[in-house]
Amino acid sequence: MRRRGTRRAAWLLALVALALAVSGCGQAEPAVEETQIVITVPDDPPSFNGLVTDAGFDSLIMELVLLSLTDIDPHGEIFAELAADLPSPENGDVVYDEETGAMDVTWRLRQDVAWADGEPVTADDVIFTWEAISSPEGGIWVQGSDYIDSLEKIDDYTFVVHYSSVFPGYLTQFGGDQVVIWPEHYCDASQGFVAWDCNRQPLSDGPYILEEWEAGDHLSFVRNPSYFEAGKPAIDRIIVRIIPEPAVRRAMLSEGDSDLDIWLPESSASELSTDPNVVVSIAPTSRWVFRLIPNLVARGTADPGGPPHPALSDVQVRRAMRLAIDVDTIMNDVFLGYGVPVWTEFYRPPYICEIPRPDYDPAAAAALLEDAGWSDTDGDGVRECHGCSTADEGHPLSFELATYGEYGPELELAHQLIGEMLGAVGMDTELRVIEGAVMWADAASGGTEQNGNFDLDMYDDGYPGVDPTDHLWFYYYSAAAEPDAGFNVGRWINPDFDALLDEAYTLDEAHRQEVFCQMAAILDEELPQILLFTAISAEAHSIRLQGIESSASDMATWNAADWTLAE
Amino acid sequence: MNRGNALSPRLPGNIAEENLPPAGTAASIVWRRFRHHPGAVAGSIVLGVMLLAVLLAPLSPYDPEASDMAARLEPPSLQHPMGTDALGRDLLTRALYGGRISLSVGFLVMGITLVIGVPVGAVAGFFGGRIDDVLMRITDAALSMPALLVLILLGALLREVDLPLFGRSSVLTVAVVIGSLSWMTVARLVRASYLTIREMDFITAARCVGATDFRIMARHILPNAVGPIIVEATLEIGYAIMEESGLSFLGFGVQPPTPSWGNLLSDAQEHLTRHPWLAIFPGMMIFLAIISVNYIGDGMRDAFDPFKVLRKVGEV
Amino acid sequence: MVRYLARRLLQLIPLLFLLSIGLFALVNLAPGGPLASLGGSRHVNPERAERLRRQLGLDKPIALQYVFWLIGNDWTKVDVDGDGVAESAGARLGILRGDFGISFRTRQPVLTEILQRLPNTAYLMTATLIVVGLIAVPIGVFSAVKQYSWFDLVATTVSFAGQAIPEFWLGLILILVFYVWLQNPITGEPLLPSGGMHSLGIGFSLGDWIKHLILPVAMGAVGWVAWYSRFLRAGMLDVINQDYIRTARAKGLTERKVLYRHALRNALIPLLTIFALDLPYVFAGSLYVELIFSWPGMGRLYYQAAVQRDYPLLMAVLIIAAATTAICNLLADLGYAVLDPRITYE
Repeated sequence: MRRRGTRRAAWLLALVALALAVSGCGQAEPAVEETQIVITVPDDPPSFNGLVTDAGFDSLIMELVLLSLTDIDPHGEIFAELAADLPSPENGDVVYDEETGAMDVTWRLRQDVAWADGEPVTADDVIFTWEAISSPEGGIWVQGSDYIDSLEKIDDYTFVVHYSSVFPGYLTQFGGDQVVIWPEHYCDASQGFVAWDCNRQPLSDGPYILEEWEAGDHLSFVRNPSYFEAGKPAIDRIIVRIIPEPAVRRAMLSEGDSDLDIWLPESSASELSTDPNVVVSIAPTSRWVFRLIPNLVARGTADPGGPPHPALSDVQVRRAMRLAIDVDTIMNDVFLGYGVPVWTEFYRPPYICEIPRPDYDPAAAAALLEDAGWSDTDGDGVRECHGCSTADEGHPLSFELATYGEYGPELELAHQLIGEMLGAVGMDTELRVIEGAVMWADAASGGTEQNGNFDLDMYDDGYPGVDPTDHLWFYYYSAAAEPDAGFNVGRWINPDFDALLDEAYTLDEAHRQEVFCQMAAILDEELPQILLFTAISAEAHSIRLQGIESSASDMATWNAADWTLAE
Repeated sequence: MNRGNALSPRLPGNIAEENLPPAGTAASIVWRRFRHHPGAVAGSIVLGVMLLAVLLAPLSPYDPEASDMAARLEPPSLQHPMGTDALGRDLLTRALYGGRISLSVGFLVMGITLVIGVPVGAVAGFFGGRIDDVLMRITDAALSMPALLVLILLGALLREVDLPLFGRSSVLTVAVVIGSLSWMTVARLVRASYLTIREMDFITAARCVGATDFRIMARHILPNAVGPIIVEATLEIGYAIMEESGLSFLGFGVQPPTPSWGNLLSDAQEHLTRHPWLAIFPGMMIFLAIISVNYIGDGMRDAFDPFKVLRKVGEV
Repeated sequence: MVRYLARRLLQLIPLLFLLSIGLFALVNLAPGGPLASLGGSRHVNPERAERLRRQLGLDKPIALQYVFWLIGNDWTKVDVDGDGVAESAGARLGILRGDFGISFRTRQPVLTEILQRLPNTAYLMTATLIVVGLIAVPIGVFSAVKQYSWFDLVATTVSFAGQAIPEFWLGLILILVFYVWLQNPITGEPLLPSGGMHSLGIGFSLGDWIKHLILPVAMGAVGWVAWYSRFLRAGMLDVINQDYIRTARAKGLTERKVLYRHALRNALIPLLTIFALDLPYVFAGSLYVELIFSWPGMGRLYYQAAVQRDYPLLMAVLIIAAATTAICNLLADLGYAVLDPRITYE
């Protein structure tokens, strides 16, 4: 018996020894001089097509392998990528016909860009991409879709876009963080833009080529030797690893096992900024503005013509709310100073409007409410309607303040604090945390906003890129107040604003600026939304990785070609 | 002659008087045996202390929800025995409030398990035949569900739903969700007991006297089947606490800002490497609660076991 | 016996059918839909939403969606180009013909996604179960044989502890200790990797794969070892005290033979049936392990699909898991009958 036991133990030992020995063997160094970085993401990128799934990770890897005509830098400046230069009215490439209202934009492409298989990138690819996107069967909606009549090829590197009416966002029509140019000779149009194999196995013209994709585990990219910018990219290999657990992502960064971690929340940014191995990169502006969205119509209906909301349809009440909220405290204490106060939609270049910053003045808020007919006669700390214009006599000034859960504890806390601040001036708020997927879902899927089942919602949103026109349309235009037609879930109708927004569809930049600022004044006056401050937009990377520039308009890989490694 | 009772049968013949099991009512025997099980006693004490602590949670000088950003992420100290979290909230206070939630869910699930499982098992075991078939098919169907996967789905489904009576209380909905897939074992146990006991003579006697079916099931059989039911129900508490923590950790259980042990663990992830106590303490609480419950359950199992003493007596 | 088997198998069919209806209703009833997670900005652009709904088949009533899921839609026409007129034949074959649908998120066939992840989960779970068996069986046997010895007491206590430890907490602690705190004394690198199945860029290395297995297996095995060893101990105790064991000893067999050939075999029967009930885990995997150790497996796939309401993927995983569970339950019942000649079914 003992003999057998010893023999078995000996086998076991031998196996272990073998394993250890082999583990030593397997770690031969790869080819010398190859530089490599690791990017960690929490979730599988669904595909390379950022336009279809819009998850962020798709754009992240898309930027590594594919190019667009133009792109946006962190400061909001548009620059040319595949385009030879930027078309504009000045250089004659943008022609606007006053009578018909039509607009023609002529694009000239660079002639030195080629796909990884050697084929040149030409106007055919752009036209092919556009047709795939706009195909009613397999395509998807994108900004500008409604205005484009046709694309006309002039020669291999020139084409014209015929717009049926002015579209000021023409420069990013084929660019930004979502639209890239796909190869005509490689992608199979019959599969449809949203589902073609290209989305999983793209052909590169960008700085990197997809080497392998192990589903759920990692993607690896190698540098594209025929990338058009000479000498770039500097880093030979990029590995994107999927690490769902945030604790592990942060630890990997600290241990040097990863080089880039995206979408940092405030608390992690603050913590990692003290880590000697880590650099926190913060975008110069942030797209995400925290805002309060009141339902101006009674809860439970999605009809803009429905009965007015007893508490929130009174603009005095909304103004009082704004006066009662101490934005600085929330921003600095809760969000650790990683934000700037925002009180108008026009806070980012190139459209900045001079609107005076609202005060934090609870006393003035109280006075305003008293004036509006809301006073607390029964001493319970909550005001009731006594002579107010929107509710029955005695109706309490109370409503539900909802926010979404996925942001994290900072938003949770801000949510509570705002509830307290409003309570301090006599507004009774019931706090509720709701799943984002339910808050923003369409009406048929039970979306609370589209169905009008909310009082006051709070979350962060903002427009990507540099053109706020579509964002403004979807949030404030009257037609957008119809269920599922837009995000004007507060059902705010203002014909003056509508008229001004219509005027903003012009190429006259000076006029646009003027019109935007008039709109800013209306928004400031009527407060269909109460804007508060921006959320953080930051990444963390290892100290050896240089060249990271966080951007509000794009994923961090927008300039991957420019990254280098310090030694 | 003293024949003892079902739990402590006295056998005729060759067992010497002093080796016979002690006499007494069934309940007192159970209690006595339980007392002599060291693990069960320890578990009861620990669980008792925990229950007391979470009940006394409001006595804490700290507010579980109020933040104190100046005191963020502090390691354990005298003022904060478990440290503070990312918003400066005292972790001990939050852990105690979280304990209220987690333990409530545990007991609620136990209740739901009994409320569903006992009647199902009793009816199936007592009536047999077609009813038994149907009920067992339903039980089998429920057992075929991959538990965690369906719980996640149910958690997502019910998270935003306004339930009648419950409103949007995520504590109750979580308990209902977990309970909906945890009654099957009890049902089977009860059914097995009823199948056996209904054949016994005293049941036939009761029928002769004219007792109704319901009366027989409730007043005659149930008290004799109660042993395994109680044991299983006790263990359910531990199982429920574990499931609730897991679901909350994944985000599909108790929703913030309501604290629960699982929630606290989920919050701790972001800061795990620098501030591990945020994860260590809530985990310890879960561990202590479950191990105590398991020891209590084990003690109960031994206490109700009619053969345990016999086995020890003479290595029969 | 064969008749019993046939009857049970036949009963499986309506069971699975009803389960599929129940699960389908559950999946589709959860408020919020896949569209909300397909949006970088908070709201999905309405035109995009409308098109996506049509492409994903969500514009049909639920009952019809279920029918399409079950038997496909290539026998009817669907409106592909959004003009309101159904003109083209559908492309789906339905689950009864082996078509598990297309994932909403990736537009890949669901079966492809599952097959990509399934081997990873099976690999992890098999390794875990092997380790569990290798540890739990000796502990259980030894505990029973040396009942009430110090070994038994320690083992019992440890197994109580093992059953009470929350798995996900254990995983976090393991990462903390073995990746963040402990260093390999030679290289200065973390002692064990933080996740994934293998290191990248170094080719195949058995040692590397094993290193990556250690922590995930440890995390998953603890609870199981605790449970199985106790179960086996109880089973062994039951068996050891039986008459036929005394007879075997009286016959003069060595203690070893008594233990292994007679006692253990009989004690293993209930364990094997419990094991059969745990078999579905080989497929559905442990979600927590995969999330914490970045293991590209089925559990994580399901979790992400649940968060993003990827209905076809959810349904596929659920129905396969349910079928596997139902079959394994049947196997467990049969196991008793086959292994224990005293039990017969008719």
